[in-house]
Amino acid sequence: MKELYDVLIIGGGVVGSAAARELARYKLKVAVLEKNLDVCNETSGRNSGVVHGGFAYDTGTLKAKLCVEGNRGMDELSAELGFKFNRCGKVLVGTTKEELHSLERTVEQGKRNGVQGLTIINEEELHHLVPKAVGKFAMYSKNSGIVDPFNYTIALAENAVLNGVRYFFDTNVISICRNANIWQVHTPRGIFCSRWMINAAGLGCGNISDMLGIRGYKIIGSKGDYIVLDKRTGSLLPMPVYPVPTNTYMGIHVTNTTDGNVIIGPNADDVTDFTYYGVLQKNLDYLIKSASRIWPCIQRNDCIRNYSGILPKLVDDKGTVQDFKIEIRPDLAPDAVNLVGIESPGLTAAVPIAHLVIEMMKEYIKLEKNPSFNPYRKQQQRFSELSDQEKAKMIVSNHDYGEVVCRCEKVTKAEIIRAIHNPLGVHTVSGIKYRTRAMMGRCQGGYCQMRVTSFIEEELGIAPEDIQLERSGSYMFTGTMR
Amino acid sequence: MEKKDAVIIGGGPAGLAAAVALYKDGIQNIIILEREKNLGGILRQCIHDGFGLVRFRTTMSGPEYAKQFIDEIQEFGIPYKTGTAVLNVSDDHIVTAASPAGIEKIEAKAVIFAMGCRERTRGALQIPGERPSGIFTAGVAQAYMNLYNRQIGKEIVILGSGDIGMIMARRLTLEGAHVQAVYEIQSVPSGLPRNIQQCLDDYNIPLFLSHTVTDIRGKGRLESLTVQKVDEYMKPIPGTEKEHVCDTLILSVGLIPENELTLDAGIALDVRTRGAIVDENCQTDHRGFFAAGNVLHVHDLADYVSLEAESLAASAAEYIRKGILAECVIPVTYCSSIHDVVPQRVSGTKDVVLSMRVNKPLLNCTISIMQNGKQIAMKQMKKILPAEMIRIPVQRTAMSSSGTVEVDII
Amino acid sequence: MKKEITCIICPNGCSLEIETDSSGNFLSVSGELCPRGKGYAEQEVSDPRRTIATSVRLLGGELPLASVRLTKPVPKVRIFDIMKEIRSVKIWAPAVTGTVIIHNILGLESDVIVTKDVAEIKQE
Repeated sequence: MKELYDVLIIGGGVVGSAAARELARYKLKVAVLEKNLDVCNETSGRNSGVVHGGFAYDTGTLKAKLCVEGNRGMDELSAELGFKFNRCGKVLVGTTKEELHSLERTVEQGKRNGVQGLTIINEEELHHLVPKAVGKFAMYSKNSGIVDPFNYTIALAENAVLNGVRYFFDTNVISICRNANIWQVHTPRGIFCSRWMINAAGLGCGNISDMLGIRGYKIIGSKGDYIVLDKRTGSLLPMPVYPVPTNTYMGIHVTNTTDGNVIIGPNADDVTDFTYYGVLQKNLDYLIKSASRIWPCIQRNDCIRNYSGILPKLVDDKGTVQDFKIEIRPDLAPDAVNLVGIESPGLTAAVPIAHLVIEMMKEYIKLEKNPSFNPYRKQQQRFSELSDQEKAKMIVSNHDYGEVVCRCEKVTKAEIIRAIHNPLGVHTVSGIKYRTRAMMGRCQGGYCQMRVTSFIEEELGIAPEDIQLERSGSYMFTGTMR
Repeated sequence: MEKKDAVIIGGGPAGLAAAVALYKDGIQNIIILEREKNLGGILRQCIHDGFGLVRFRTTMSGPEYAKQFIDEIQEFGIPYKTGTAVLNVSDDHIVTAASPAGIEKIEAKAVIFAMGCRERTRGALQIPGERPSGIFTAGVAQAYMNLYNRQIGKEIVILGSGDIGMIMARRLTLEGAHVQAVYEIQSVPSGLPRNIQQCLDDYNIPLFLSHTVTDIRGKGRLESLTVQKVDEYMKPIPGTEKEHVCDTLILSVGLIPENELTLDAGIALDVRTRGAIVDENCQTDHRGFFAAGNVLHVHDLADYVSLEAESLAASAAEYIRKGILAECVIPVTYCSSIHDVVPQRVSGTKDVVLSMRVNKPLLNCTISIMQNGKQIAMKQMKKILPAEMIRIPVQRTAMSSSGTVEVDII
Repeated sequence: MKKEITCIICPNGCSLEIETDSSGNFLSVSGELCPRGKGYAEQEVSDPRRTIATSVRLLGGELPLASVRLTKPVPKVRIFDIMKEIRSVKIWAPAVTGTVIIHNILGLESDVIVTKDVAEIKQE
């Protein structure tokens, strides 16, 4: 008799992990099936990490409503789960009369959506906020902010696991069928059975929706490239600076990160291949040129890395982008919540989306509260951010805090070993990277990756040829030399 | 707080030579802080020979070269701490370091930066394409193979004809890998000619100049890449695409002096060398802070790193004894054919060695050093390559204590 | 016949132009800045030799490998035979610089010596 879950969530991104955590508040047997080797590998981890205010979306849409809710709840959520959230604000800069009118309309829409703290400011006020921004005026959104999407998703997932949810990695869905009111999900690891399904598959939402029996949704991928700048530039950008958006596209912006880097991007190209994350040369040049218009502090020498992300946009026959589709279709797929087209502001709205999913489920089943649910996850303090006295104390408690392994980000052996023994059981090199910041500095692991891979091998008893960088099949070594 | 006459940050070739020279000069209240578990720095992984040709008149491997200095460190009992990473250097001479023993702060009369350099990465180069595993900078590949006993791949393409890349081409070939080709974006090789001979020609590994990698493919591990010829502006020429099916890409595309601690202390860097701006004493623009070796400017011979560090030590010793060194107000300027010159300031009252690199290869020319319209030193060269650092001694007797020093090529 | 090579003896890397007769025998060389260059050129023509550096497996040491090199250049054509021989060797820590681990390898009059000190792992 196969194990029977109460809820199976397809997708371990920010939405799937938020759903997992929220469902753990109830007495349910929950599992997450994630096709990659870690959470947050696709869309959730490939964006600029902005917590949106909620003014950019049409009034009355789920995007608007859930974004505003998510924004409001972020202080409490980040405190509960121990991840960094910086409510630093955001400015949208402009120079022409049309842009000013557009921003005024945006303020109105924002107010209708329930967003607080939106004002139009003049050049002087703009430069008081962001001295290096270029613009004659700006819309200032006081309540916008930034998160590290990895910290955030990992925090949700780890709290879910703490509360009994199981995560299965390297587990893609091959097919789904329904038998005697039970969903059967076929994967390379075997068949998973569950009463309820949640499609939180992001880029795979169209495929999973089809497999559930809800066919016909059209998903377009909107691919954008990003460039990461050295931390030395971070002090020049106290909050994200955006251009005035068009109807469909937020424009190439510059965003500070919670760790002090700056991210430039994204451009927006329509794609149908959701597996190709290659960055194109012309896009890189275009990003720098475009972003320099609103924030002229970009030097080639400061570019340390680039990456790419794809947003799954639900479109109609005419190609017009639709609102989030969050539905239960009892006629086609009973006991399944279908999430389609969860693109931006999915990161901001993840927990409100999870709440909505649960509210919808409650119309069909009774959910009993889990009295032992623990909403808290302790914030992991970074050694590099401690005072000298605190550092000294940490070293006394564990000498491995005195061994600095990643010199660019000042990450210690103790932090790396702790990350290797993470609650999700992730053991890819990138997994350790995102949990500690090792290898994310200017030398990009040139100094420390050898130590990091050795620690993974030693701590987990993994052979060199089995060490993976990030994705399935991304082996680093072909074996030992001798 | 502990007080030292000198704190040397980095126990590689520069730090070791500086420490030994200081100690022998009688400055003994010193300490070397090295973050690795052993002294030697980058030399630990440079197991090929070619070190010591100038200094010891014999060829030896990197570790053997380091051992010459490490033996003296042990013999004289020169203080050093390994497994100790410097976290910060403040401009008031406090060095903060972390080790398993705790956090320590040392007040140093003289701070000597000897941190070496890091490698330019794919991200910094902005090579387009996917992000599979199997892409390594040459130094990382070298460390994996020589220190960690890891075989990194079977079918290799190397981008960049820097010395480390060529040395790794040979290393990988000797270990049974197939190096398909070395590509170099410039029209001239960036490494030394003898490495082209003994690392590439000897093993029939082709070197293609004016080429670069323009696309990378692979979902998990590297599967293939595209190379293209480039024009004189180093832009890829359409129609020249060539595909390589391979599993490893090695990048040997440049070294960058590792000056984060230097910048934290508020010290100015030279945009050309990306190292500190120094005078003939190797003193930076902050009194009592010195720099030598790869952290100052990228060298191609460890032997010269040692000489530079020893010269620094002589000046640092004087600084420690007197509390000050004579100011060097004479700027050193150079013509457009020259990429950089170190030191950037001289006093005109001391013998000095000017180290420089050219921007492009030159044949049959003379490097002429002028001051006040008079030639004060010169070196005739049959051939000059950007890959080779040129050192020209200038005698004190030839110089005057005022007047810009100009380096020209005729 | 003329041939151009780079001398690998010292950092100068002189570009040498070698003149040989029709049977490939050395006639003359130009371009060298020192007498060793002439010797190298002659050797290159008649019997090219190289020295190599590699590693052997070190057991019980702080590092898994000890770097080694040849003490004398060996015929270029035998390099891969030598590599095969060296690959089969394992030594025990401590590794001491200068220790001969293979004497007169393959009868080619060169020894293989350790080039790095590596301490034994401390037993706790």
